[in-house]
Amino acid sequence: MTFSRRPATSQTGRVALRRSGGQGSPVPFLVPALLIVFAVLIFPIVFSFVVSLFDWPLSAGGGQRRFVGAGNYKDLVMDKEFWNSLRLQLGFIFIAIPLELVLGLAAALLLNREFQGGRVVRALILLPVFFLPVVSGMTWRFMLQPRYGALNNFLLSLGAPEITWLGHPTFAYAAIIVQDIWRMWPFVFMLLYAGLAGIPSDVLEAAEIDGATFWKRLFLVILPLMYPTILTALLLRIIDALRIFSEVYVMTEGGPGMSTTLFSLYTHRQAFGYMKVGMASAMAMFLLTISVIFAVTLVRKNMSLEKLEDQGGNR
Amino acid sequence: MTMANRRKTITTAVMFFAIALLLIELYPIIITLLNGFRRDIVILSGQKFELNQLTLDSYMLVFKNRQMMKAMGNSVIVGLLSTALSVGVGAMAAYGISRFKFRGRNALAYSFLVFRMLPQMSLVVALYMMFKAVGLRDTIFGITLAHSSFNVPYVIWMLIPFFTAVDKSYEEAAMVDGCTRWTLFKLVFLPLVAPGLVVAAVFAFINSWNEFLYALILTGVKARTAPVAISSLIGGDTLTWGQMCAASTVMLTPVFVFTLAMQRFLIRGVAAGGVKG
Repeated sequence: MTFSRRPATSQTGRVALRRSGGQGSPVPFLVPALLIVFAVLIFPIVFSFVVSLFDWPLSAGGGQRRFVGAGNYKDLVMDKEFWNSLRLQLGFIFIAIPLELVLGLAAALLLNREFQGGRVVRALILLPVFFLPVVSGMTWRFMLQPRYGALNNFLLSLGAPEITWLGHPTFAYAAIIVQDIWRMWPFVFMLLYAGLAGIPSDVLEAAEIDGATFWKRLFLVILPLMYPTILTALLLRIIDALRIFSEVYVMTEGGPGMSTTLFSLYTHRQAFGYMKVGMASAMAMFLLTISVIFAVTLVRKNMSLEKLEDQGGNR
Repeated sequence: MTMANRRKTITTAVMFFAIALLLIELYPIIITLLNGFRRDIVILSGQKFELNQLTLDSYMLVFKNRQMMKAMGNSVIVGLLSTALSVGVGAMAAYGISRFKFRGRNALAYSFLVFRMLPQMSLVVALYMMFKAVGLRDTIFGITLAHSSFNVPYVIWMLIPFFTAVDKSYEEAAMVDGCTRWTLFKLVFLPLVAPGLVVAAVFAFINSWNEFLYALILTGVKARTAPVAISSLIGGDTLTWGQMCAASTVMLTPVFVFTLAMQRFLIRGVAAGGVKG
């Protein structure tokens, strides 16, 4: 929709606008949002930081709280499980996201043409993105069960032995990665497909007529033109992957052992398993810092206010 | 082979590839939908799927499950409340940011977007302690407020373009008529950005509807929402897969309907900060 219908503009109108304090004050409009942001974002962050400086048991039965300064942070650096969760988290990001990007790009290139049922395919393929994350985790857990899970049934029919997928550290870790790829590559596809559709078709055709091979066109024309979109998709996926919790929590609860205890799962365990809120808050501050770095990069690079305003609500 | 022929072959190949892709992507969804219509015992015995297994038993069990029904009711209430709160507050803020010039305007807009992208895990421990201290833990109001922490920034970011698109002459004309900023916002802007309000509301609702971590930590028996209730159907000796799938299908239906109905807004909807878990 466009707002092309303009009411009559007059000099008096502009004067009136200017007279009302030029712009009037935005404060009354911003206050309610700022209050909420203060209550559920800024205050918790500050509070988290304070708690992270204490040895703070979750319940009164856990003993006295005690100021320890950077003690929790030092303990974290010494904690083997902290490094384990960080390593698993980074591995998760470095394995899942490149595959999601490649799959998303390949599908975007292939499906970027008119064919029968194309619209339906492009719509339905996005459904996993909107699958409730919890349900996705549960469904994958179901499919990987021994005896009645779909994957084992399939393997048995091929004569392969049955495997308790989620009971094996490596397979369980692979499973949570596959689950994420399954659910989120269509998200990358959706962004890249839109980016691809934004490239003028004569640019692509010109390259094709010049006789450039597919790979040449891909690396010299398509990818450079799509760079901003790819970067956006990459950053969005990293930010999203940094906070993964619910799917893994219902799939494996971090196990077997600590083999799928990603960063958020270990934070959760510190707070509500070991009841060490101070340690958990130190981890929260760490995660917050990393997420803010990526989010600020994304916002500065690709989501400037001017750019957003240019979209003009037309899409 | 002529160019046209080659095109045709490629198109056919693409079609087959697309269908294969679609089957892989939809398989887990389809088995969730199907297993909702099978009995737990049939599923656990690993029998092959047959049409005569289809029954509404699992659905009946879910609908008779008081706790599950309460959790679903809570999900609806929390979803609606947090949507209303975020759209109301967010529309005002988006108007304030897009139609006024003031110092720190950019910084404010950016910080809203960054807030939107913070991991819930980095906030939930503090929220738990705060809510416990003031008696908000396990209350509908508490979890609604927690959901606003991602929905308010989200709605603001969704609505800014809609507000920016409104032509300046509307304001000028309204000012001549002696409108205050508030009446201008209410009577001129809100109707003009109504489509944006609808889109933002739908996505805000889905964000809240799908949310798990806050619900897990910040609610107990009273205010528990459906995603947590569903996850509790499986675990230890309880393996009620049929009910889990039936309850999940109930939860998935509105989401899928919205998703398919709002195709053209999907990209903006999810790009404003990923999808909530």
